[in-house]
This record gives sequence, structure tokens and C-alpha cells, in this order.
Amino acid sequence: MSPGQAIALVVDDSAVNRKVLARHLASLDIEAREAANGREALELLDADGAGIDIVLLDIEMPELDGYETLAAIKGDDALRHIPVIMISSVEELDSVVRCIEMGATDYLPKPFNPAILEARVHASLAGKRLHDLELESAARQAELLKTIERQKDELSRFLSPQVAALVSSAEGEQLLAGHRRIATSVFCDLRGFTPFSEATPPELVIRVLREYHAMMGEQIMAHGGTLEHFAGDGMMVFFNDPVLQADHVARAVLMALAMRDRFDALASSWASDGHSLGFGVGIATGEVTLGRIGFEGRYDYGMVGTTVIVASRLSSAAGPGQILLSPWAADAVDGMFDVEPVGEVVLKGFSKPLAAVNVLGMSSDPAHLPAREAAAVAE
Amino acid sequence: MNLDGAPVLDEAVLAELRASIGDDQEFMVELVETYVAEGATNMDGLLAAATAQDCAAIIRPAHTLKSTSASLGAMRLSAICRAIEEAGRQSRPDTLREDAELARATWEATLTAFAEAGLRA
Repeated sequence: MSPGQAIALVVDDSAVNRKVLARHLASLDIEAREAANGREALELLDADGAGIDIVLLDIEMPELDGYETLAAIKGDDALRHIPVIMISSVEELDSVVRCIEMGATDYLPKPFNPAILEARVHASLAGKRLHDLELESAARQAELLKTIERQKDELSRFLSPQVAALVSSAEGEQLLAGHRRIATSVFCDLRGFTPFSEATPPELVIRVLREYHAMMGEQIMAHGGTLEHFAGDGMMVFFNDPVLQADHVARAVLMALAMRDRFDALASSWASDGHSLGFGVGIATGEVTLGRIGFEGRYDYGMVGTTVIVASRLSSAAGPGQILLSPWAADAVDGMFDVEPVGEVVLKGFSKPLAAVNVLGMSSDPAHLPAREAAAVAE
Repeated sequence: MNLDGAPVLDEAVLAELRASIGDDQEFMVELVETYVAEGATNMDGLLAAATAQDCAAIIRPAHTLKSTSASLGAMRLSAICRAIEEAGRQSRPDTLREDAELARATWEATLTAFAEAGLRA
């Protein structure tokens, strides 16, 4: 309903009745449009259905009577919400009952009593107003949902998709508040990147990083990893959070292998520039603490704990092309990959050395292939 | 037909209508003018249907005259038209001509009464 004056459609074959009704309506600050029969009324409604707030409908009319008109209004999705008040003489009360069963809101006895007219019209208009408000509110809600979806979409370009989903999910708040679980942390970076970036024109450094990040991003997505952060040539990715992944260690190793393969192809195009770059990875599994870390205005979804530090140190210790696994991670994927022991690795900040292994590639024994790799081979 | 207590023009109904529209004399005159024009057409239809003893055709003019006459206080004409409408609906053509003649005479009397009430030029 327009916020201003309400509009009533008066349908009566008697010009006297229309005139009297229009006059009464005007005193209630309601504008009256007039139709002499049902056909004229439907024409007006079709042309301006949304503008009409209430219909006052006579029963006995030529061309199209009150019943037929009422049936047409109530049968039209665009019109059925408009309240219809039947105009009837006292003898027509039986007809009124039928009309109310057909969907009429109320009736108005003839001759018109202004007080009854006012009460019935106002009651019906209040119902219509409520209906209009509900429609408006539903439209606003749909608009809001669209905005949220769009923001989620945009957010997912800054955050990893899993974290973007978390932000707008019901259980997200709880996960963001902090929790502990077994997860796998992956650190990777480039050997020789610092001297390379110092000796190379900035445009080339940026191009190399862009190609490198694009490739890494693809592999993180493909394996369902959650990117915690990247800084220059370094990245930290974790698995089994916020989405649980039963095969989180295998996913991490498979991702590292795919990255290493693709990196070799990319690096050969950069190596011609005279600097060789190497790709190193550290993977550790263990209990970690996850949640929202940061400060008002800049929060990250982060992972902390010894496991994270072990992965980081293993990454630093890895030589070009090496993928080093912590003992827990190595146990978890035992047999799936061909590995070689690299002996006891002394990690900065840890008193005890660690027996790490280097992943050479997929297991040469087909019986130990992870299920999805086996499926890929079968295809 | 019982017309007891049905005045040609009921001053009380007219006064109530006048009060409800803010005592607007100009509007009252205009309304009566509309009533007379519309009523004349309906009287013609009613008389023609009565002459033809056409029960179906007499219902609508009788119905409209009944209702608009009541709105303007022409209670006697309204009562006669109600009886005619009823006869039409019940397919009783025998009294139509007689009743229509009564309606015509009452119509004339009603027009005179409106003029006397200062509502017709």
C-alpha cells in the first residue's frame, strides 16, 4: 500500500450508490475509483491492481455480477490479497455468506451507515497493510540474504573457502572461539628466493611469485587444504580443520607432491634467468589449537602449537625438492608413499632431534596406493 | 402489498444522509439529480418488463430502484420495488403490471417530494 492515501475501488451499477460511497470514503481520506460492473472493475484492477487497496463490491450487477467478480479476484495471484467488502441489502444476507466463503473479507449493509463503513473499511485496510508489510519485509530479507551471499562470495576471495564458510555458519562462532584437535600442518617455501629476488628485476620477481602462487593455490583447493597465510615465497596450509578430513595426512603429502611436480615445470622457465630456485616442504601432524587470532580490525583463522613449529622447522631443514615428514605424519601414511629416512634432524628450539623422512613419490607398491589414487589409476 | 409506514420521502433518512456527508446541500442536489436520471432509466426498464410480464428482466431495475430509493429516503418506492423484485425472482408475473403502475405513480410523487424538500430545481 502506498504510504499516502489509500485507494478503494467501488463497484456498483448504481451511480447513486457509487456517489454516496465515494463521498463517505473521501471523508475517511480514502480515494475512490468507480466501476459500474464487474467487467469494468477487473479492467481497472488489471491495469492498476497493485494500486488498489480495497474493493467494495455490489452483488447484483449487469455484465459481470459480484460472485463472478469476486471469483476472478480471488483466482488471480496478483489480486487475491486485496480485501473485498461486499455491498448488500439486508435481504441478501444469504448471498453474503456465500461471498465470505468465497474469500470476501466482510460486508457492508445498504443503505450505508458511515460508522459501519468506517469500521469495516479500516479493519480490512489494516489487514491489507499488514500483508503489504509482510511482503515488504520478505523482500528486504531476500535482499539481505543476497547481500550476505555476495559478501560471502567476496570474502572467499580473501579467506580460504573453508574459513569463509565458517564465518557465516551456525557452528562457526564456536570454532572461531578456539578448539583443539589433531591436524596436519604444511609449510613450504623456496630455496634461494632471497638472492633471486635481490638480483632479479622487480617485475620478474612479481611474475614468478604470481605464477608460483597461482599454482600453489590451485593445489591447495584441489586437495581441500585451508590456507592459513602466505608471506612472500612461504605458505602455511593445514588439513582436518575447520572441515574434518579422515585422510588429512595423505591429503597433505599428495598436495606437496603435486606442488613439487608443478614447481619443477615452472622453475625450468625461471631457471634460464640464471638463478635456480628450489621447493622445500615440511609436514607435521599432532594436536594443535585453532581459532580466531589477531586484533580488532584484523583477525586471522590461525593454528598454533608445537606441531606448527615442527612443520615450519622441517620446511627450513628441507633441501631443494625435499618433502620432510614428522614421525607422526610418516606413521599415518606408512606404505602409501616411497620415503627415505633423512636421519635425526636437529630442529632449532627443540632439545631432542627428530627422525624425519623425505617423501620420494607415490608408493611403487600398488597395494599401498591411497584409494583415490588407485581409482585414478583404474580409470 | 403492505405499504403501511412507508412514507414517500422519509425525512429522517434524508436528514441522516445529509448529516453523514457534512450537510453539503450542493452534493445532496447532485445526488438527487443522479438518482432521478438513473431512476428514470430503471423505471423505463421496469415498466417495459411489466408490460411484457418478463419476470427475469424486471429483477434488475426493481433491485436497483429498491436500493437507491432506500438510500435517499424514498421508502415507499423502495418497498414497492422490493415487492416487484421478489415477484420477479419467484416468477409470479400476474401482479407485475399493477405493481409497476403503482411504482410509476409513486415515482412521480417521489420527484415532487424531492422538489418540495428543495432538492430539485
